[in-house]
Amino acid sequence: MTDIDTTAASLGIPEDAMKRLAEMKPGKPGALFTSDLSVNEFLLVREAGFQPLGLVLGSSIYHVGIQIGRWSKNMELDTLSQAMYHARELAMTRMEAEAATLGADGIVGVRLDIEFKEFGNDLAEFIAVGTAVKAEEAGNWKNNQGQPFTSDLSGQDFWTLVQAGYAPLGMVMGSCVYHIAHQGALKAMGNVGRNVEIPTYTEALYDARELAMSRMQAEGEQLKAEGIVGVQLLSLAHKWGGHTTEFFAVGTAVRPLRDDHVIAKPQLVLPLTDR
Amino acid sequence: MTTEWNGQGLPPAAMARMERGKAGGPHASLFGISGQAALEACGFSVVGEVMGCIVHHIGFTGYGGCGWMPANAYGGYGNFGNAGVGGYGLGNRSGGYGMGGRPGVRTSSGGGWAGFAPYVDALYHGYDTAVLRMLLECRDLRGDGVVGVTLEQRHLGQDNREFIAYGTAVRAHSKVRPANLFSTTLPAHDVAKLLHGGWAPAAITIGISLAIRHDDWATLQQARAWAGNTEVSGYTELVHHVRQDARQQFARRTAAYGADGAIMSDMSLDIWDIEPGEGHRDHVALSFVHGTAIAQFHKGAVAPTSSLIVLPMSDPPGAVVAGRKP
Repeated sequence: MTDIDTTAASLGIPEDAMKRLAEMKPGKPGALFTSDLSVNEFLLVREAGFQPLGLVLGSSIYHVGIQIGRWSKNMELDTLSQAMYHARELAMTRMEAEAATLGADGIVGVRLDIEFKEFGNDLAEFIAVGTAVKAEEAGNWKNNQGQPFTSDLSGQDFWTLVQAGYAPLGMVMGSCVYHIAHQGALKAMGNVGRNVEIPTYTEALYDARELAMSRMQAEGEQLKAEGIVGVQLLSLAHKWGGHTTEFFAVGTAVRPLRDDHVIAKPQLVLPLTDR
Repeated sequence: MTTEWNGQGLPPAAMARMERGKAGGPHASLFGISGQAALEACGFSVVGEVMGCIVHHIGFTGYGGCGWMPANAYGGYGNFGNAGVGGYGLGNRSGGYGMGGRPGVRTSSGGGWAGFAPYVDALYHGYDTAVLRMLLECRDLRGDGVVGVTLEQRHLGQDNREFIAYGTAVRAHSKVRPANLFSTTLPAHDVAKLLHGGWAPAAITIGISLAIRHDDWATLQQARAWAGNTEVSGYTELVHHVRQDARQQFARRTAAYGADGAIMSDMSLDIWDIEPGEGHRDHVALSFVHGTAIAQFHKGAVAPTSSLIVLPMSDPPGAVVAGRKP
């Protein structure tokens, strides 16, 4: 480990790299890939045995309908839940269609973004972006719907997952837009100066999160997943004001590739960087 | 003291700095200590900080029109441009948007006068020239390429824009020199990892597209406040085409370098409305993609190095990540 400097040079890295750049000839379009993976992710996805085929994306500009919750009532705003869900589905399906045309086995590093646009009322762009990949060795990587797998795991997590003997099946998600009741003035007065739980709020937040998570789990069951990893449970206020919040659960459903899930014991290192 | 410069090669001030660099003056580097060490470990040494810039006047953006495509004009929309862009391949949509005309998406790459082609061409020219001048400085310092490039665009007012590219020039410990100087927006660490993995950065690649789409009746209905849940298919179509066009240009430019692939660093999209006619609004979208074209130099299917699972002893603790062994 002490002669790092000479190792790279003795492997001929600078020489080989310059030779390749000296031989650069304009190629034919279509034979190359594009990817928005970071360098770490790109190298690790390659090392996991996958080739990136290209960046794939799907988007939808969606008009989210209007639904107003009753002032003093905890309730799901199902019109809004459906909108958030449907628009994401549209974006994801379009991204998957792009991957299918590339003949991909799966899509890694998927990002789902929502941006409410300035120019219109209640207009939002839903966008799904990822990198389509193909396994270097033939094998069945598609999920039980016959679709390429999708995963929102980073390249690092993807590598670790495959090393540990699991394969991603698909991204699963659940959404619930919930209106939390306002407290009546009398009730609020009664609590002044006291430390108390406000059960209606607690219950509302519980309900909303449970709805989002159970919808995500139902999607996992459809894919016959063993489990869901990398779950994020987000509370997104968007632009509906303080009492209306979207609870969004998203994760990657996985299936086992083999029975044992042992991963090599990690080495301990002390990085010389300041982070 | 300034002299009148004819726009060829480098300005006199830059020439003077390069002369001092060649004469063996101290070199500057934009890398941190560890970045410099990482590249040094791959057999690349820093030769100096380099910069290129151009102030460009964009006086004519091209005629966008309102994006409305009259029926029967231009032989079925095919004459305008490149069908591959997809901007005009809308024939299979359900028709019936009123008068027999059809709202189409006009992207800037339809050639000559299509959409905002002059504007987009000016943006390309700005970035390309800034990068080219930066590479001229790199060549003067006998570097092989520039690492960790920052690309910037600033609005100076009055249709004037400045395009700047700056980074750190490096030279390989090698007998072979590249055919064209390489450039990359990736930082030194990432370049070192790529080289260890058997890939060389080749060139900064960009893709730009600007498109306009007429706000037709259906679009206005879908975007109305009381429309309920519905996709606004016109806007979706607009952003789809503008991104598609920018990505295709990005891929085309990557292929033109002869690279094997590209790592995209950023993909941005702006959408806004304009008023091309009295009381009528249309929407315009601009997509900008940039990244680095990369070329594979290891021969086998497997990279010359292998990963080692490490547990970093730094914050945040506990995460098992994969590092790379030299």
